[in-house]
Amino acid sequence: MIVTKKKLDRRTFLRGVGVTIGLPVLDAMTPALVRAATKPPVRLMFFYLPNGIDMPNWNLDYQGKLGELPRILKPMEAHREDTLVLSNLTHNYGRALLDGAGDHGRCCASYLTGAHVKKTSTDIYVSGPQSMDQLIAGEIGQKTRLPSLEIGMEDPRQTGSCDSGYSCAYTNNLAWKSETQPMPPVLDPRLMFERLFGTSGDLSLAERLQQQRLRSSVLDFVRESTQKLTKELGTSDRRKLDEYLSAIRGIEQQMDRAAKDENPVDPGMGKPAGAPSDFGDHFKLLTDMVTIAFRSDLTRVGTFMITREGTSRAYREIGIADGHHPLTHHGGKVEQLAKVTQINEYHVKNFAAWVERLKQIPEGDGRLLDNLMLVYGASLNDGNRHIHDDLPTILVGQGGGTIKTGRRMVFRRETPFCNLHLSLMDRMGVQRESFGDSSGRLPGLDTV
Amino acid sequence: MMKQRLISVLVSGAAGLLVTTALMRSQTPATFETAVLPVIQKTCLPCHSDQLSSAGVNFQGFRTAASIQSNREQWDTVLRKLKTGEMPPAGVPKPSGLPGMVTFLESEFARLDANVKPDPGRITARHLTRVEYRNTIRDLLGVDFQTTLEFPVDDSGDGFDNLGDILSVSPLLAERYLAAAERITERALGLTKLPAIPLDASYADDDHYEEVVSFTGSAGAVHHVGPSFVEVTHRVEYDGNYVVVVGLTGQRPGEPKPVNMGLWMDGKLLYSLEIPAGKPQTVYFGPFEKREIKVFLPEGLHTFRLGFANDVDLQNVPVESRYNIRLNKFPQFIQFLGPEKPAEEVASRKKILICDLKTGPACTERILSTLAHRAFRRPVTKTEVASLMKIVNVAKKEGLNDERALQLAMQAILVSPDFLFRLERDPVGGQVHTISSVEMASRLSYFLWSSMPDDELLAVAEAGKLSNQKTLDEQVRRLMADPRSAALADNFAGQWLEIRNLDSMKPDPDKFPDWSAELRDDMRTETRMFFDYILRQNRPVVEFIDARYTFLNEPLARYYGVEGVKGPDFRKVELTDGRRGGVLSQASVLAVSSYPSRTSVVLRGKYILENILGSPPPPPPPNVPPLDEDAVGTSLSLRQQMEKHRENPACAVCHSKMDPLGFALENYDVIGKWRTMDGKFPVDSTGTLADGTKFEGPAEMRRVLTSKLPQFAECVAGKMMIYSLGRGLKQSDNRTLAQMTRNWEAKGFAFQDLIFEIVHSLPFQSRRGETQ
Repeated sequence: MIVTKKKLDRRTFLRGVGVTIGLPVLDAMTPALVRAATKPPVRLMFFYLPNGIDMPNWNLDYQGKLGELPRILKPMEAHREDTLVLSNLTHNYGRALLDGAGDHGRCCASYLTGAHVKKTSTDIYVSGPQSMDQLIAGEIGQKTRLPSLEIGMEDPRQTGSCDSGYSCAYTNNLAWKSETQPMPPVLDPRLMFERLFGTSGDLSLAERLQQQRLRSSVLDFVRESTQKLTKELGTSDRRKLDEYLSAIRGIEQQMDRAAKDENPVDPGMGKPAGAPSDFGDHFKLLTDMVTIAFRSDLTRVGTFMITREGTSRAYREIGIADGHHPLTHHGGKVEQLAKVTQINEYHVKNFAAWVERLKQIPEGDGRLLDNLMLVYGASLNDGNRHIHDDLPTILVGQGGGTIKTGRRMVFRRETPFCNLHLSLMDRMGVQRESFGDSSGRLPGLDTV
Repeated sequence: MMKQRLISVLVSGAAGLLVTTALMRSQTPATFETAVLPVIQKTCLPCHSDQLSSAGVNFQGFRTAASIQSNREQWDTVLRKLKTGEMPPAGVPKPSGLPGMVTFLESEFARLDANVKPDPGRITARHLTRVEYRNTIRDLLGVDFQTTLEFPVDDSGDGFDNLGDILSVSPLLAERYLAAAERITERALGLTKLPAIPLDASYADDDHYEEVVSFTGSAGAVHHVGPSFVEVTHRVEYDGNYVVVVGLTGQRPGEPKPVNMGLWMDGKLLYSLEIPAGKPQTVYFGPFEKREIKVFLPEGLHTFRLGFANDVDLQNVPVESRYNIRLNKFPQFIQFLGPEKPAEEVASRKKILICDLKTGPACTERILSTLAHRAFRRPVTKTEVASLMKIVNVAKKEGLNDERALQLAMQAILVSPDFLFRLERDPVGGQVHTISSVEMASRLSYFLWSSMPDDELLAVAEAGKLSNQKTLDEQVRRLMADPRSAALADNFAGQWLEIRNLDSMKPDPDKFPDWSAELRDDMRTETRMFFDYILRQNRPVVEFIDARYTFLNEPLARYYGVEGVKGPDFRKVELTDGRRGGVLSQASVLAVSSYPSRTSVVLRGKYILENILGSPPPPPPPNVPPLDEDAVGTSLSLRQQMEKHRENPACAVCHSKMDPLGFALENYDVIGKWRTMDGKFPVDSTGTLADGTKFEGPAEMRRVLTSKLPQFAECVAGKMMIYSLGRGLKQSDNRTLAQMTRNWEAKGFAFQDLIFEIVHSLPFQSRRGETQ
């Protein structure tokens, strides 16, 4: 078969379980925030990479102003003015601390919770009491239609053991609403679309209000029966029902805000048919929807699990047939390590392409990106040796003018990663004295 | 030769046991100080001490008889390690007092346990899993709702996804529950508003999409699964009638025979049409002909297969010319156009509307109380029905018609915690109690069917009859015989044997060109049918380890090198050589225990220890020097590699257990194909276990595993206990498990007896309350 260029282009659309043709035309949309004369809000999202990074190809050999970037970060060179490279942040609670093996399970669960989680395969517990994104969502989430967004790209492992005595819940989730309640990510762009834009399509305001009244009567029933039930149940059973009840309350608030919103969001795209099998297509669909969510102020905080710890995903897209995790235990073998580097690079390339699209979007007097804080990084340094210090971390966006980007900051060794959390929380308007094992805030983020 | 060696090992082992028992009898009663302490001090403490607590174990606190009670869990581990021969490790001399220590600990445990009140444990309330929700909706309303597309994954622990302590309803899941309730009730009553303009989705093969795209919006690519068949995965957005347009390219010269064209959905034939041959020397349909098929399609993601069932002409076409349009006629695109409202009422609607809604609210009330009763899996109260009727009234005030009002109340049933959760009441005070007959009905149906109780089971339960063991056993027998018990193969075996992971397997296509979605599905079918057969025919559990039969169709038989199996249907096939037999020789298991590009003796060894022998190895200690498995087949043989690795004593402890078992399976490649060479080295599948047992190849390893039947049986029993209860096992369950395995052994380890043992067991029958 003769492959023409035209054919190839179309192939990218045709592959897999049918992606709808026509990705969002961002310029054609009406951003809800245009009307806002006030200062745009700051938004935060974490992009989580599993299995560490090939550090020699990530680390810079200089401090201060960003110039040429090493191989993995190379795609970010075009955006170096918007990028802050953070070095020497450590997650001590990712370490064993007498709990033995299981660095993958532990490092994922501790990343945003700042907790040394309970090593168990059944009765999961993180002494957070919640992850920092959920803490933020709890305080400012009522201002937006969705308190937070959890996104992922890989089907969680469904059977067998996940990591050395740690339940799969620890590696399948990044966000924790409470000690025992993880927030599962949405993987399917179609579900994400429905989450953001609803399932009811074009309804008039009157119709939407009626729909809301009808739904309320259903939810009233749920509330009544749940309250009645809890009187007959033991404490741990009651906790499960309370979780449901609090989710229902959250939905009622969401419905309220959505129904009264007279400026429904125009997604500017058709509903996707499902998840494309190609990593790049999948990533693009999801991140484009994140753009819309941020731009239309549907949510202000979120997490994005690029894949999960211990993943065996192979990257055929770039000719790699071996699983990611087995590759990272390369035993010093050059060819194997080279593939890890390639995967690391490929992820950044996709992320950088999204940043490029983000940069084009205006907001207020400046750009949308000026008001974002996108943290991109891993909770392991070297995936082969399971190192928990100097976690590879970059921050993109200026957080509403509170972050001076375009440089590399090297902190004192063993600076708690939770210090970054505190500093980011400040910028989200959520002040705390401490978080996890924090020892203070990161100094100098806003000054050169 | 090998057999002889094996037998001699077994005989000498047995003789050793006899001698020990005889010695024990002649001695004075053993005490902790005489039977245990000397061994600890001489053999254990050198490694497991304050200074050097290897594997995190320290025996300093284990030097008194009292510690058996205070550190029971650790002592259980100690006894297990001694009995399996893992400890003391190779290289440390076995002390003569070892058998005495084992006997003493066993009798001491038994003595202590006799004084402890048995604890049934408690199961935390949990929401239905995705599978349970789908099955329950199917049995309640007759709607197939594909939860995997709609709900987030249920997190798992201990290998199963139905554990109450792990499952929780996230805001995302709650949102999806509400959306699902709206959608399901609309579909059940046939009220879904269909789009005004029909949807159009077309799929074409690589070489022909240009022409397809030119006339319609393309949705994706079809996949050739043979020269006469194409396959496509298509998401049907609405229940309804669709026009399926099929494109058939090419001509057939000579004297073409008639063909039978069929359209299958998810393996089931939807439509077939006999297409006669045209006049000789020409084609029997025009080139680029299209045929239209009108069929009802249910909402959801489905795999459609289109092709000619009996294509004899194809045999005359050389393989390389099969897609040559001048020499062959073959399907090359599918288009779905629709939906259109079916003329006939949907079946689910007829089942729900047991009376005429127009006759007044009494009918609505009857419908709702019947549905709520079944959905809540218990009797409903008047107040509950009144609350549902309140919703009906709200809807009517808003101007909705009777059907829409009923639908709204049905939504409330589907998002009620009584439907979504598996709930069991605790009496005040938190004492241990037998669960109610009605609660037992749900425990049974969700264990055996992954679904709700049917009307008969619920009626028996509500009459309080499930506390009668005879009635209970009758119901268990009935549930097992029902087709719905196939859920055990899908969900219990699917998780126990990790077959569910097949879907995410992506073997390297360059190295393993045999791999395809069809082969994968065939692999899954083999294991499913194998498990189902053992369950339904009540076969001895040992057949999981070694059986002289399996289930194959032609492609899988060819793949295995088994002759005489023709056609796409699976059937029971006797195995004549030693290559295959039991789950450890099934391609599904071999694939899920491999990396995408290579086999791993470590992964497979670990798989056997975890899932067959129930003795998972401890996780590797930190800073282990990495194993260079990748050099296998290129610079060093796998065995040379592994042996180098095992020179390190820290690695040897576990690898001496895992690797030999994994080596025995080296005759199977990543996707389970038989091989005798790995790269440029011949496969070496010999192994020696920690206790000195030697074997070569999978057949001999199966014999060794067969000799460990009680250990395997206890492993399966433990896994099934977790699955049936929906909670992890606690120390207090060890007694139940051991007792259950002994009872089962006495009955000869027939598979169904395990299910009866579990159903009769204390944890399944009762529950420890919790103070409120």
